[in-house]
Amino acid sequence: MKGRVISLMILVVFGFSCRNSKSKTAEFVFPQSDSIPVSEVEKLSPEAIADISKNISSPVEIANLLQTLQVPFSQNYLAESIDANRQSTSFDKALKLGILGADLGYLNMYEKTGSSLDVLSSIRKIAEDIKVGQFFDFESIKRLSKNKSNLDSLLFISIDSYNKIDNYLRSNERGQLSALMIIGVWIEGQYLATQVVNVFPDKMLSDRIGEQKIILNDLLLLISPYCKHDPEFTSLCKDMQDLKDKYRDIRITYTQGDPVSVEKNGGLTIKQTETSVVNMSKEQLTGVIEMTKNIRDRLISNK
Amino acid sequence: MKKTIITLTILFAFGCLSFGQVTDPLISNCAINAGPNAKYLKDFRIQLGKAANQNELRYKTNMSLWKNTKYRFTMCNAANSKGQLILAIKDDANKTILSSFDKKTGKIFSFVDFECQKSGIYQISYDFRDGQQGSAVGVVSMIK
Repeated sequence: MKGRVISLMILVVFGFSCRNSKSKTAEFVFPQSDSIPVSEVEKLSPEAIADISKNISSPVEIANLLQTLQVPFSQNYLAESIDANRQSTSFDKALKLGILGADLGYLNMYEKTGSSLDVLSSIRKIAEDIKVGQFFDFESIKRLSKNKSNLDSLLFISIDSYNKIDNYLRSNERGQLSALMIIGVWIEGQYLATQVVNVFPDKMLSDRIGEQKIILNDLLLLISPYCKHDPEFTSLCKDMQDLKDKYRDIRITYTQGDPVSVEKNGGLTIKQTETSVVNMSKEQLTGVIEMTKNIRDRLISNK
Repeated sequence: MKKTIITLTILFAFGCLSFGQVTDPLISNCAINAGPNAKYLKDFRIQLGKAANQNELRYKTNMSLWKNTKYRFTMCNAANSKGQLILAIKDDANKTILSSFDKKTGKIFSFVDFECQKSGIYQISYDFRDGQQGSAVGVVSMIK
């Protein structure tokens, strides 16, 4: 009997120690419920919403990845069909403001500042239409775009202008427009990544597309309070939910490790040894690419 | 009298509108001087009074960080700030990934580069050393 107890204890201890070992992998899964209850959304504080909006990756990060992979610039990826004069509702305007913002980030990162002037004038028109033009420093952006003198400043002013618009909308009870702008930025960045991976298949890029699963739930949280407001929102919510469904079986696992730090040139460099690993089949990637294209094309069509 | 009220109202409204357009020079200088090849992503403006206790960093926010990306976290203190800004980052399992403050030596790094290998949502925390009051900005950039 004593022997059995000891054996059992060894097994239990062994079991626990395995769970805590460095080779442990965890997996990212969506929260249990697929749809977010309205009550949960309504409980979100303004700070939580601000946090979510900060979570969404910048289109500049996607453009940076494309540059790292030496993917050439292509005008074809831009939402050129958007006519700033034909956006009738605030819904359309806020969404397009986001989409064009992502295009501006892509153009700036590739230093195609001459082409960005057309996008800028569309942004100006739409921003003024929804009464946020005062937060966009058009003259400085235009000047910096024309003389290509300081791309760092150009990137800063462009992103800063969008951040100001986002803050203003959220703090002035126009959160639905802020949510639309953020969705617009994200969907255009996602479109860019998925279109490029079609032509330049690359593991790093397809992983980045798969990793968007991590923030999809947050995007849905942002728009959920407005899903029943009007048919346009209902349709967008359905699109985002359909896209989330495409991600359902894509798995993200994690391996553990401790960060390594090095002091260099007065600064500190931390190299992470923990990794995330995306397990996504070709069919799953194709499903995400197609769904993203359908949504984005529908959003930029001039009805 | 009526004229004065109208003038004051217009001036006030104009002032409010103009206020929204101004970019804090502390943010723009910190962002633009983050170093060569640093591309600005986000900033966090931190203004805190003296802490009652120093158990945890007080300013907390979340941010998604992506694998195969090198981030630079730069801390810039306002000229009149009593405290020096420090940063700590935790992952979704609440594990500390980095800190700009070395408790053993007391050294505070003005910037920290982070080579991210695990995509996810991270908790970014800021405070001033020893819970001091202060005013500063934390800028996040991407570097090549």
